[in-house]
Amino acid sequence: MATTETTTATGAAAAGVVRAGTAADAAPPATTPRTRRPHPRPRPGVGTVLKWVVLGLVALVMVVPLYIMVINAFKPQDAIIASPLAITPDTFSLEYLQAALTSEKFNVVRAYGVTLLFVALVNLCGIALAAPVAYVIARGRSKWHLGLLLLFVSGLFIPGQVTLIPVVFVLRVLGLINTIPGFILFETAATLPVTIFLFAAYLRTVPRDIDEAAALDGAGKIRAFWACIFPIMKPVVATIVVLNSISVWNDFVSPQIILGPGSGIYTVTTGVYAAVGEFSTDYTTVFPTLLLAVTPAILFFVLMQRHIIGGLVAGATKG
Amino acid sequence: MAATLSPARARRRPAARVWRDRLPGIVMGGPAVLVFLAMFIVPMFLAFVLSLTDWNGYSLNFTFIGFDNYAEAFRNPRTVDAAVFTAVVAFCGTVLCNAVGLFIAALIAGNGRANTLLRTIFFYPYIISSLIIGFLWSAMLAPEGAVNGLLGHLGVGPVPFLTEVGFAKASVILTIVWSSFGFNMILFLAGIKSVPTEYYEAATVDGASKWQQFRNVTLPLIAPVFTVNLVLTLVGLLKVYDIVLALTDGGPAGSTQTIVYQILRDSFGQSELGFGAAQSVILLIVTAVLGLAVTFARRGAEKKVAD
Repeated sequence: MATTETTTATGAAAAGVVRAGTAADAAPPATTPRTRRPHPRPRPGVGTVLKWVVLGLVALVMVVPLYIMVINAFKPQDAIIASPLAITPDTFSLEYLQAALTSEKFNVVRAYGVTLLFVALVNLCGIALAAPVAYVIARGRSKWHLGLLLLFVSGLFIPGQVTLIPVVFVLRVLGLINTIPGFILFETAATLPVTIFLFAAYLRTVPRDIDEAAALDGAGKIRAFWACIFPIMKPVVATIVVLNSISVWNDFVSPQIILGPGSGIYTVTTGVYAAVGEFSTDYTTVFPTLLLAVTPAILFFVLMQRHIIGGLVAGATKG
Repeated sequence: MAATLSPARARRRPAARVWRDRLPGIVMGGPAVLVFLAMFIVPMFLAFVLSLTDWNGYSLNFTFIGFDNYAEAFRNPRTVDAAVFTAVVAFCGTVLCNAVGLFIAALIAGNGRANTLLRTIFFYPYIISSLIIGFLWSAMLAPEGAVNGLLGHLGVGPVPFLTEVGFAKASVILTIVWSSFGFNMILFLAGIKSVPTEYYEAATVDGASKWQQFRNVTLPLIAPVFTVNLVLTLVGLLKVYDIVLALTDGGPAGSTQTIVYQILRDSFGQSELGFGAAQSVILLIVTAVLGLAVTFARRGAEKKVAD
C-alpha cells in the first residue's frame, strides 16, 4: 500500500507539509527525521510513531474548536474568557442555551423548520426538473442534445454571486423578490447544472432495453420515464439529495439577498448572522447560538457520513 | 429523435408526425430549460448590460456609460486591493488545502478504524456553513478569545489575530484551510484507493521504497484527481465571501475585503449596481479563464499517465 508507513523521505516531506498547516505543531516532529538520517534502515516503528504524532496533533487542532464551542455554550462570559478550555460544575449553566433557544432576535426552532422546508422544496423541484431533461439528453444523439447539455454545464462555471445582482432584477420583474417561491426558483436553478450532469452521466449507463420494454407496455414516453427509468436512478438521486441539501442548508448569500431581512423569513445562516453579527463579543450569545446552528448539520453528517462522502466524491470526480 | 432531424427522413414524414415525436422531449426538457434561462442565462447577459450603465438599483432612469465601470474597476483602489487579496487567498488557499489534504490522505489511506475516525475528524468542518465557521473562529481569535487565553497561560501576550492587517490576512487564509482541506483530502483518498494494488506489488518487487512508490506510482495515477482538486479549490476561493464576512467583516481597515465582498457591498449597500455588475463580469471572466487554464495546464501531467 502507498499508505506511507513512513520511511525517512516521507518523514521529511511530512514535517514540511505540516509546517505549512500548523506552524506551532511542526517543530517537534521536524527534528526526528534528521536524527534518523545516519541509519539507512531505521528501527521499525519510529516512522509509525511519528506518523501518529503528526496525525494526533492535526486531529487536536480540528477537534478543539468544536470542543470550545460546545463547553462554552454552558458558561458565563467571565468564565469563558478566564478559562476557555475548562468547565466546572459551579460555572455550568443551561440558562444561556435556553436564552438562545428562546431569543426574540433569532427563533432557532423556526429557522430549522424554514431551512428544512427549503431543503425539501429545492430537492423536489430540482430533481423533478432535472431528471426528465437529463433523460432526453442522455438518450438523444443530435447536436441539439449536446448543445442542451453544454448549456446546463456552462452553469458550473458561473459563480452564483455573479448572477445574483441581475437575478434580483429578474425576480423583481416577476414579482417574486423577497418571497419564498422566488428563493426556491433561484436555488432550484442553481442546483440544475450539477444535477443534470450527474443524472445524464448515470442514465447513459442504463441500457436502452428498458426504454423499449416500457414502450412495448404502451406507456407514453413521459409516463414510461417516471414509472420505469426514474426508480432505477435511486443511487444517483441519493447523491444529488446529499449534495443539494448541504448546499441549500449552508447557503447564506442567496437567502440574505433574495429573501432579505425585510421579509422576516430567516434560515439558519441568515438568522445566525442577524443574531451574532451584532453581539460578536457577547460570548454567552455567540457560543450557544452557534452550537444550536451547527447541531443539525453535525447530526446529519454523523448519520449519513458514508453517503455524504460518497456523494461528494461522485459529484466532484464525474465532472 | 435524432432521426427526425435528418432531412431525408423528415421529408418522408408529415410535419405533424415529426412534432408529435418531438413533443415528449420538449415537455420533459422545457421546464428545466426555462428555469435555467430565467435564473442563469438571462441574468448573465443582464449583468453585462447593467455593467454598461450607471443604474443605482431602484431609480427608473439610467444612462449607458460604455465601459466606464470597467475602467473604474481597474482604477478604484478598493477594488484593486480586494482583487489582490482575493488572488492571495485563492493562491495560498489552493496550495495549502491541497498540500495538507494530500499529505493527510497519504497518511490515512489504510483501512483501519483509526483511519476512518481521523477521516471524519479532518472532514467535518466542510459540512458546516462557512459563515458559522467564520463566527466560531472570530470568537476564538478575538483579543479576549480562547486562543489568546491559551497563549496567555503560556506567557505569550495577546496576538492581534484579527485586528492587525498581516495577522488578519493570515487568519482568513488559515481558517479557510482549516475548514476545507478535508474536502481535498476526501478526493485524494478516493484517488489513492483506486490505484490497483498490483502496481505497488510490482514496485516493491523492483525494490522501490515507500516514498518512491508514492512519488512514481501514486502521484502520477492520481493526476486527474489532482486537477479536479486544484480547479474546484481555486474556483471556490475566487468567490470567497461568507467566511470573511463572519471572521473579519473585511477589516481591519478594509484589508481583508474580497472581490465578492466588494461586489455585494457596491451593489446592495452602496446602490452602485452598474459598478457591481462590471466587477462581477470581470470575476466571471477571470474565474472561467483560470479554471480552463489550470485544466489545460494539467492535461500534460494527466497525459503522461495515459502513455
